[in-house]
Amino acid sequence: MSDADDRGLLERIAARDKTAFETFFRAHGSGVHRFVRDLVRDDGLAEELTSDVMVEVWRNAGKYGGRSRARTWVFGIAHHKAIDALRKRRTTFVPLDDLLGVTSGAETPEEAVLRADDRRRLDAALTSLSAEHRAVLELTYVEGFSQKEIAEIVDVPVATVKTRAFYAKQRLRDALATAEHPR
Amino acid sequence: MNDHDIAELLPFYANGTLDTAERARVETELATCTTCASELRELHALAATLKARADAAPPLPEHVLDDAFARIATPATAIAATRLHTAWWGTPARYATAAMLVVGFGAAAFAAHHAREANVTATDTGGGAVSDVKQTTIFRVTPGPNAQKITVQHEHAAAPAEQTVAKQHRLAKKARLDLLVRDVEATLKQAQSAVRRAGGDVTSLDDTSPRSAGSVHAATMVVEVPADRLEDTLDHLGLLGTVQQRAIDAEDVDAAIVDEEARLRNLRRAETDLRTLMDKGGKVDDILTVQQNLSEVRGQIEQLDAQHRNDVHRVATSTIAVSITEDRPNPTPAVPGPTARIDGAWHSGLNALADSLIAFVTTLVWCVAYAPIPLALAGVTYAVARALQKRMAPVR
Repeated sequence: MSDADDRGLLERIAARDKTAFETFFRAHGSGVHRFVRDLVRDDGLAEELTSDVMVEVWRNAGKYGGRSRARTWVFGIAHHKAIDALRKRRTTFVPLDDLLGVTSGAETPEEAVLRADDRRRLDAALTSLSAEHRAVLELTYVEGFSQKEIAEIVDVPVATVKTRAFYAKQRLRDALATAEHPR
Repeated sequence: MNDHDIAELLPFYANGTLDTAERARVETELATCTTCASELRELHALAATLKARADAAPPLPEHVLDDAFARIATPATAIAATRLHTAWWGTPARYATAAMLVVGFGAAAFAAHHAREANVTATDTGGGAVSDVKQTTIFRVTPGPNAQKITVQHEHAAAPAEQTVAKQHRLAKKARLDLLVRDVEATLKQAQSAVRRAGGDVTSLDDTSPRSAGSVHAATMVVEVPADRLEDTLDHLGLLGTVQQRAIDAEDVDAAIVDEEARLRNLRRAETDLRTLMDKGGKVDDILTVQQNLSEVRGQIEQLDAQHRNDVHRVATSTIAVSITEDRPNPTPAVPGPTARIDGAWHSGLNALADSLIAFVTTLVWCVAYAPIPLALAGVTYAVARALQKRMAPVR
């Protein structure tokens, strides 16, 4: 969906159009969910936060000034809510999919175990990073935002984003190396 | 541009979001720097891995959309949205509203002061029985940071104030009623039976008996009645004496209840998932982790459930705080005896003497202080008179 489409939807949402809200939700809900889930590491909380973000979009669509892409604006809200939730809740939940996903799919048990093992290793390495580093990795490599857009989303200067992107990758590499060759 | 600058730009070169100038700089560097090229390959691999991981993530459950729809359908959200949608005039309107509230409050306070004065005068002069409502206050409270409190006061309104709370909201109502009565004990009994007839009950009662003949008998009582019987009950209680104050405070808890229900649904779903895992068994560590998560989720469910029940109860049941005070005319002052009268005369005489002395000394001080002015005037007058005398002398 193009930015022009998103802007059109936001205008209609500001005019209380629920169909536009549903379209917007279906276009961005998954991305927002994935992003906040990686930050908070809790499925239930991620679902709540996704709902919160979209309700915020419904409430504040009239406030969207159009200075940035609509998607950047939504991810800014999501980042703010996720960081806020992390500050409030310091619980360490094990992602349910890790536990549920081991026996799913049409793979052989050996393949499933290997795949789950790799994913667990990556997840463990990501979990060892700070929320700021996880956010910048997700926004750069999965969501494909520019440095300026990420700066707007996480509300820091562009120079900080560049530094975080650099060190996030370094830390991830170190964490993966440690997981592979535990000392 | 040094290696570190390039290294910081590489992630955004890898995701294709650099502008033309930065992209050109990076490409120039990549042509000669083997370390940079190797770093870029790593970044591409990282991007592919993270994307694959993201693609494998579980889809967003459909119930999240349902929850969001339920939440945006609440009136509180609609009100907030309307306010935002009309933001261009919102600020002046808020100022105007604030100014009106300030003026309204000032006028009401002024009127209340006058009413109080009038009431005191009526009591002092043994004024006739007042059956009117002295003061009625209606609070309308909306939730959230922009909560508004509107106070309306009616003086000597014969009929109970109209209820202004919106019917479509789930409101937790609290009321307050202050009564002046002839017999506090009898009124308490009548009030209790009126409350029980309305399907309610007394939750607290504090009856302070008078310690001496001069003190006034007063009692306070808190009752709960079904929300739909609040106005009827207030009307019935109001008939038991002279209503001094009648106030209703309504808090909109609709959004909170909807939110609690959504959160409870999510938590119960998570609990079911965790139980499924427990049933599957597995490694001891995994089971222990699931068990810990399950216990946390259960705790949250119980806490939220209790809060939800409490909010629902507050909507279904309204609370009335009734204050009952004995209405007793001012006692007639006792006639003083002969000794007291002589003592009074002596004190009055001394006071009068002191007052006279003070007045005399004060006048003296004033005269001394202002003396230069009349002296100067007298001097000028004397000089003028002398000059006139000298001019008139030859004529004679």
